[in-house]
Amino acid sequence: MKKLLLFLIALSASIAILGCDGNTEEQEKIQIDFWHMSPVGSESYTGTKDIINAFNDSQDTYFVKGTGYGFWDYWDKIAVAISSRTAPDIGFSTIDDVPIRAEAGVLYNISDLIASDPDGIDIDELYQSQLDFATYEDDLYALPFSATTRVLYYNLDMFEAAGLTEADVPTTWSELETVAKLLDVVEGDEIQQLGFDPTYGNATYHGWLWQTGLDFFDDDLNPTLNTQGHIDVLQWMIDFNSEYSRSQLTAFGDANAMLGINPFAGERVAMIVEVDGLYQIIKNAGATFNYGVTQIPVPDEDGIRVNWGSGFSVEMYDNGKGEDDQKAGAWEFLKYLMSYDVQMELAEVNGWIMAHQGAMETVAEGNPILERLLEEVAYAVDKRYVPYAPSWHGNDWQPYYSQALEGELSAAEALEAARNNYLQKKANWEATHQD
Amino acid sequence: MTETVLKRPKYRSRKRRRIIVHSVLHIVLVLCSFVFVFPFLWMLFTALKTPAELLKGISVFFPAEPQWQNFVSAVQKIPFFMYLKNSLIIVLSVMTGTIFSATTAAYAFAKLKWKGRDKWFIVMLATMMLPIQVILIPTFVMYSWIGWLGTRLPMIVPAFFGGGAAFYIFLLRQFFKGIPKEMTESAIIDGANHWQIFTKIMLPLSKPAIMTVALFTFMGAWNDYFGPLIFLSNPDHWTLALGLRSFQTQYGGQYNLMMAASILIMLPTLILFFLAQKTFIEGIKFTGIKG
Amino acid sequence: MSKATTVTKLKKQENLIGYLFASPWLFGLIVLGIFPIFMSLFFSFTNYNMISAPTIVGFKNYEILFTNDDLFWKSLGNTIYHVVIAVPLGIVVGVGLALLLNNKIRGMGVYRTLFYLPNVVSVVAMTLLWLWLFQPNFGLINELFKPLYDLFDMEPLGWYLDQKLSKLTLILMGLWTAGGSMVIYLAAMQDIPVTLYESAEIDGAGWLKKTIYITLPLMTPSIFFNFIMGLIGSFQVFTIAYIMTSGGPSRSTYYYAYYLFDKMMIDKAMGMASAMAWILLVMVLIVTIFALRLNKYVFYLGDES
Repeated sequence: MKKLLLFLIALSASIAILGCDGNTEEQEKIQIDFWHMSPVGSESYTGTKDIINAFNDSQDTYFVKGTGYGFWDYWDKIAVAISSRTAPDIGFSTIDDVPIRAEAGVLYNISDLIASDPDGIDIDELYQSQLDFATYEDDLYALPFSATTRVLYYNLDMFEAAGLTEADVPTTWSELETVAKLLDVVEGDEIQQLGFDPTYGNATYHGWLWQTGLDFFDDDLNPTLNTQGHIDVLQWMIDFNSEYSRSQLTAFGDANAMLGINPFAGERVAMIVEVDGLYQIIKNAGATFNYGVTQIPVPDEDGIRVNWGSGFSVEMYDNGKGEDDQKAGAWEFLKYLMSYDVQMELAEVNGWIMAHQGAMETVAEGNPILERLLEEVAYAVDKRYVPYAPSWHGNDWQPYYSQALEGELSAAEALEAARNNYLQKKANWEATHQD
Repeated sequence: MTETVLKRPKYRSRKRRRIIVHSVLHIVLVLCSFVFVFPFLWMLFTALKTPAELLKGISVFFPAEPQWQNFVSAVQKIPFFMYLKNSLIIVLSVMTGTIFSATTAAYAFAKLKWKGRDKWFIVMLATMMLPIQVILIPTFVMYSWIGWLGTRLPMIVPAFFGGGAAFYIFLLRQFFKGIPKEMTESAIIDGANHWQIFTKIMLPLSKPAIMTVALFTFMGAWNDYFGPLIFLSNPDHWTLALGLRSFQTQYGGQYNLMMAASILIMLPTLILFFLAQKTFIEGIKFTGIKG
Repeated sequence: MSKATTVTKLKKQENLIGYLFASPWLFGLIVLGIFPIFMSLFFSFTNYNMISAPTIVGFKNYEILFTNDDLFWKSLGNTIYHVVIAVPLGIVVGVGLALLLNNKIRGMGVYRTLFYLPNVVSVVAMTLLWLWLFQPNFGLINELFKPLYDLFDMEPLGWYLDQKLSKLTLILMGLWTAGGSMVIYLAAMQDIPVTLYESAEIDGAGWLKKTIYITLPLMTPSIFFNFIMGLIGSFQVFTIAYIMTSGGPSRSTYYYAYYLFDKMMIDKAMGMASAMAWILLVMVLIVTIFALRLNKYVFYLGDES
């Protein structure tokens, strides 16, 4: 046993010595830390590295050191870094909660930087709705970096097989129902192909709700949810495929969910509401079916054309150490990242819709799907940040939503229960936030 | 003479019974094995699929043409050997540190009488009752104060001081307490001190238990991605478990590569297990001692 | 030197030696552990979103959790249900597997390794597989049970999609990794003196008798260990629900540690999460102190004199 221990110690010591690698960073330059979501091994790694290298080669003052974390790990890493004031000089975050960080003083004021360097950023090229989210007390504390949008994807091959053409692509809810039923294929008890379901893909209750002019909260962030309009929308979602049992629908959905397969990409549903990322999935998998994208059908002629879209912000972190050189360098790099050319490159590398409208228009030229996606970004609205329930649309709502879908609660009961939960959270939040 | 004649049939029927029992055992074990091997087969088949086959989900269980090159690209897409080296540095250090700090503490709890021992024992158990999430940020802040960020120290040093070792201390204490008193008492009479008893009697006699601790610490450190993610600031220090997560991208990701890489990193654990369980056969079994 | 002074001197010496042996661990606890632990206790009396500085709110977090938080009680109830079933079941299966795999037959090493396999398989692979096997409509398990369902004329079980069965389903899935505790039992079985078995065999004892009168009693230290660790671990059950059911359906697998995690990561309410952590600590500590009383039924070979 002693021998084993000694052996282990010797082995780990020798590897530790071998493992000491020389510091090869360029010492004389000011180092700028930049965190992104393209780790070594990911598809976007090389492209991201090239973009950073091009900046480093373009000037002699700064050296940007990029570190990539996987998409699912990035958030934990940056959260711990921000709260311990060890954040990178520049990095990404979610755009809907910028004010929280701005208020806490962990972000540099971007408006100040723009004021002293007016030509640095083409602010007119960015979406106003996103800029609003990045604003705190009339100043920008972050810049929109990328945008997402939700659209209706439709499978043209399936349309053709059912004797339909592109002209039949629905624009209202009633058209959607009519067309969807023509596209269902059922064998025995089992659904083989589904025309559409308003709960599939990335369609959400609040997304449908917004189209009718309603929302979860009023302007003072009090939960609403208690009107007939709210009930009607939920009921419409529940009843859309009422000729099938919920377990048939779940089975069909689960069969797709295994391995995280998107039912549209797997050619199992004819139409689906999804984010722009589905376009990338289909492209990367080399799928060969014909499809198109269009705006999400609205309730009726008076329906509001709106979709839930979000995006990343790019932020400069102030760790309270007075690092003015780093701040200046991060600003230079931020300008570079937000420039026309680099935004175009980033769109190619990541498959994201970038915030720079001009750059995106160039990227999308001659690509009908991307052009159409881009058009819908203009109608994208992000969810409100509700301090007492940051995940009001997710964690807080999902249990009631699924109970309503399963038929355990009626639409009205589910909404009432959800509302009570928000009210309790609000009361508790206020009780601990008395100034 | 008469005795052997009488004994023979008995011996034979016993042998026959043993053959029957063993065959039944084999059948039971093979059936059970299938249940336990299934997840692995699933991994293997997924690793061998093409992206197009992945899209079909569960309707395709077997890959049409096994894509063995997925294993090659999984290794080539990441700096596999750098990550492997980093993993080994951390894993071997954690193993060494934990075995050292856990065996010593376990000896104190099992075989020595000291003031406050039972209270400290409860404290030790209590350290496992606090969900680690709530101490994550203060721990990180503390390491940044000490100046450990950017080094491997946060992953290595705590193990030598019983960090995360409560489980093993308790486990080893249970085993140490099972070692007969006569052995330690006779050693004391022979003039041995406690360190000698610890190294010459306790450790050799607890080989299966220490192998168990070695196996568990190896697995824990080898598969841990969250600790390295949070506490390693320098990507050149990244471990395999963390590096492999690059294949999991925003939209699903390269499942086939991920599974291929996962199979590669689970192999060392399996080999270690196979070796460890061998000590469970040899056993020490106190052959010299009368109970 | 009188005998009495020698004894006190020896006692003093042993006291010192005890602390010396425990010192690496004690040093780590006091130097590296105390600050984070104290901070989390401090946070529990504050309102802290992990970005701004914490503000002190006194016992407010505790008060709210106990008086005005339905999910606190719901998740606690779910957790207790899980503990009560998973801990004993885990012990029975672990001991059972170990007994099965402690036989001296050819290829035992391979069997043991195969049984241990689920402990090493990647979590993602395991998750997908479980979901697939237990899927009520087309999963393999319901396919296998089909004759049984037909025989009793009953609806196929809904497994993780049925809120009455979801917790049990997760417990069943957890048993797949019983290989972990099996290793501990196997290791324990090797410490049983062969002489005991030999003398029992001379008395004509069979496998069953040897198991009941020798193996099991001498395994009580490791069973006791797995029981205490099972308690502590099960009260913090989280991962399996997080990856398999997201706490559903209808919050039926929304466990205490899951709620704590959400409070911290989703609601950014670190103060509340810390208060939950300390409530959990006190609860588990009380249960454990009671459980430790079972120690008197544990048979340590070393204590026998």
